[in-house]
Amino acid sequence: MTLDPDAVKLCCINGYSSDAVSLLLGESYHPGGVALTRRLLDQLGCGPQPHLLDVASGRGTTALLAAAEYGAQVDGVDLAPADVALATGAAAARGLDTQVSFQHGDAERLPYADATFDLVVCECALCVFPDKPTATQELSRMLKPGGRLGVADITADSKRLPEELTTVAAWAACIADARPASEYVDLLTDAGLRVTQVEDHHQAVARMVDQIAARLELLRITSPGGLEELGVEIAQSRTVLDAARRGILDGVISYTLIVAEKP
Amino acid sequence: MRVAHDEVFVELTRSICPVCKVVVDGEVNVRDDQVFLRKRCAQHGEFEARVYGDAQMYLDSMRFNKPGTVPLQFQTEVSAGCPSDCGLCPEHKQHACLGIIEVNTGCNLDCPICFADSGHQADGYSITLDQCANMLNTFVAAEGEPEVVMLSGGEPTIHKDILAMVDLAQQRPISAVNLNTNGIRLASDKRFVTDLGRRNRPGRRVNVYLQFDGLDAETHLAIRGRDLRKIKQRALDNCAEAGLTVTLVAAIEKHVNEHEIGPVIRQGLGHPAVRSIAFQPVTHSGRHVEFDPLTRLTNSDVLHAITEQLPQWFTINDFFPVPCCFPTCRSVTYLITQGHPDDGDFGLVPIPRLLQVEDYLDYVTNRVVPDLAVREALEKLWSASAFIGTDTSDDRLTKVAEALDCADACGVNLPEAVAQITDNAFMIVVQDFQDPYTLNVRQLKKCCVEEIAPDGRLIPFCAYNSVGYREEVRAQMSGVKVDPVVPNARPLQSLLAPTRYGSRTAKP
Repeated sequence: MTLDPDAVKLCCINGYSSDAVSLLLGESYHPGGVALTRRLLDQLGCGPQPHLLDVASGRGTTALLAAAEYGAQVDGVDLAPADVALATGAAAARGLDTQVSFQHGDAERLPYADATFDLVVCECALCVFPDKPTATQELSRMLKPGGRLGVADITADSKRLPEELTTVAAWAACIADARPASEYVDLLTDAGLRVTQVEDHHQAVARMVDQIAARLELLRITSPGGLEELGVEIAQSRTVLDAARRGILDGVISYTLIVAEKP
Repeated sequence: MRVAHDEVFVELTRSICPVCKVVVDGEVNVRDDQVFLRKRCAQHGEFEARVYGDAQMYLDSMRFNKPGTVPLQFQTEVSAGCPSDCGLCPEHKQHACLGIIEVNTGCNLDCPICFADSGHQADGYSITLDQCANMLNTFVAAEGEPEVVMLSGGEPTIHKDILAMVDLAQQRPISAVNLNTNGIRLASDKRFVTDLGRRNRPGRRVNVYLQFDGLDAETHLAIRGRDLRKIKQRALDNCAEAGLTVTLVAAIEKHVNEHEIGPVIRQGLGHPAVRSIAFQPVTHSGRHVEFDPLTRLTNSDVLHAITEQLPQWFTINDFFPVPCCFPTCRSVTYLITQGHPDDGDFGLVPIPRLLQVEDYLDYVTNRVVPDLAVREALEKLWSASAFIGTDTSDDRLTKVAEALDCADACGVNLPEAVAQITDNAFMIVVQDFQDPYTLNVRQLKKCCVEEIAPDGRLIPFCAYNSVGYREEVRAQMSGVKVDPVVPNARPLQSLLAPTRYGSRTAKP
């Protein structure tokens, strides 16, 4: 399947910043929620000193958590201007605006100088970047020597993906262009990083699918009109969710946490 | 050659000999992915019982262990140590979420399974209104404003003063009264049901805790000795008519009615009076049929049965341990439902799928709780005092619903949903009470379900049924000698003789 990269990026921006997505996914947009974010930051050895970059920072959940709970100095970058604005507002509201700042930017051309950061995180985003080799080169470029990158992402054996999950609409759900964990390891290695840890968390993505299905069902019960207004089609959504469940059960789809170090 | 153990030793604890009730050390071991409690009495030898069917769930549940709350008042002092000083003694780790008053020992049934050893018995006791008032006062002195008191028995509805006892409870700062009944009077005495319904009002709720073990005649005969299906249905319908909420309470025994777990849930979801269901693996104290302690049912078995019998609605992750008591004692889930289960567009959403409950109720590994108000709301819901239909539960459900609402972030506002949510909420509880075989003081010390004894003690329910307190209180109150009850367990058969109430005691 070939897709126009710009169309994909636009789809992601619209998908990720849309009300329908936030309604169905809740506050945390990635599998495992804040618990898995904490695990990722723990594995990176995040603490009060390091300068951390969050690539595809969304509405700022991870960046704010790293600042509030770990005391890190954080920059967040995201492709969706609406999310950058919301994240900036959230940082101000929590009094973290001296510690965290957000800006608009493309992961394939990150707006920072080489070797600016001690730590870089990229959660549930690499899978939707159309040019993955360029994006991983950029992630690597951000790191100081000895710095560490934490990637948590949907991993999938794309050749075996259920058909319902290969459409453009499924891109925003992180699945259609996800790669097997081994391919991410290769990409990071090619970008000059040394992978030190790979962890499978398929339960986290299974749970997220259940959560989306439950939110959909709750809205169907309580506010069917609202779903219609947002253009969510229940039968079609269920088909996609069932396909995702099948994929997880068959070991085709998972969620993987990867830590890599810059030599 | 050295040989490896076939089990992992996970805890050292204290228990009792099921025969002579002397306090002994106990070992908790994991073997074949299940959890067993083993102990040895110098006189009666070794005993072992299955206490949790799923070792991973048992170990995972430990992080849901909430620090207890100290009650306003203790009733006894520490002298011999747990479980001999009940209670509550100052070494107890938790206050009473739920107080139980047994108003009598007599019953209009003689069930083959009855932990209270009740029945058509001439030599039992009934408490007086004065005694009931004193027991309620003890509870209020210990708790301040208790959430809920349960009136039980025997069969409390055959006590001539039962309505006056409900009134006594409602005159005190107790938010809800739970009436634990077999439903016979509710089925036949509509005036009584109406009188109860009139007492169910905002701030002073009355909920019926209706014994309901299944839908098959065989189940009724095996557990209750009578086919009560029509009676149960009439009782339910009468409660609905009188505006009373009902909890279906199913005692589940191995090889008897495990297959009824799904049908009971379906029945509950389909009846307008029913707002919650409680499953209890049969407690092997008092009167019960012969059982094998090594294969007895546990909470995790009931949870797995729910997901196996109703896979379209439930997964094992929909249930969370209750943090106020010891987390292996009780698991709960809440549902939001709409319509009748037989309808094509029936809707059912387990609340734990909507938010990460463990982000709020994990007391061991959590560093930062996302929202303390949501935690508090969840704590009240995941507690032994939670009964759907009480104002507290409604209030907490609304709070949780508000946490789910993303009206600020997205176009859809859910005000109507939030208003409706309490009417559509449904609770499922799975509770494994301990018996003389399974008693573990680690759990007992944090027990939050207390028997209020007529002499003013608050005795943890599982200690009351296991250690000999029930027999002691009955002897005191009735003036009749009461034999110490020993479980009717397969390995003990050669030691046992029947008591006159149908339970077993040790041969002299």
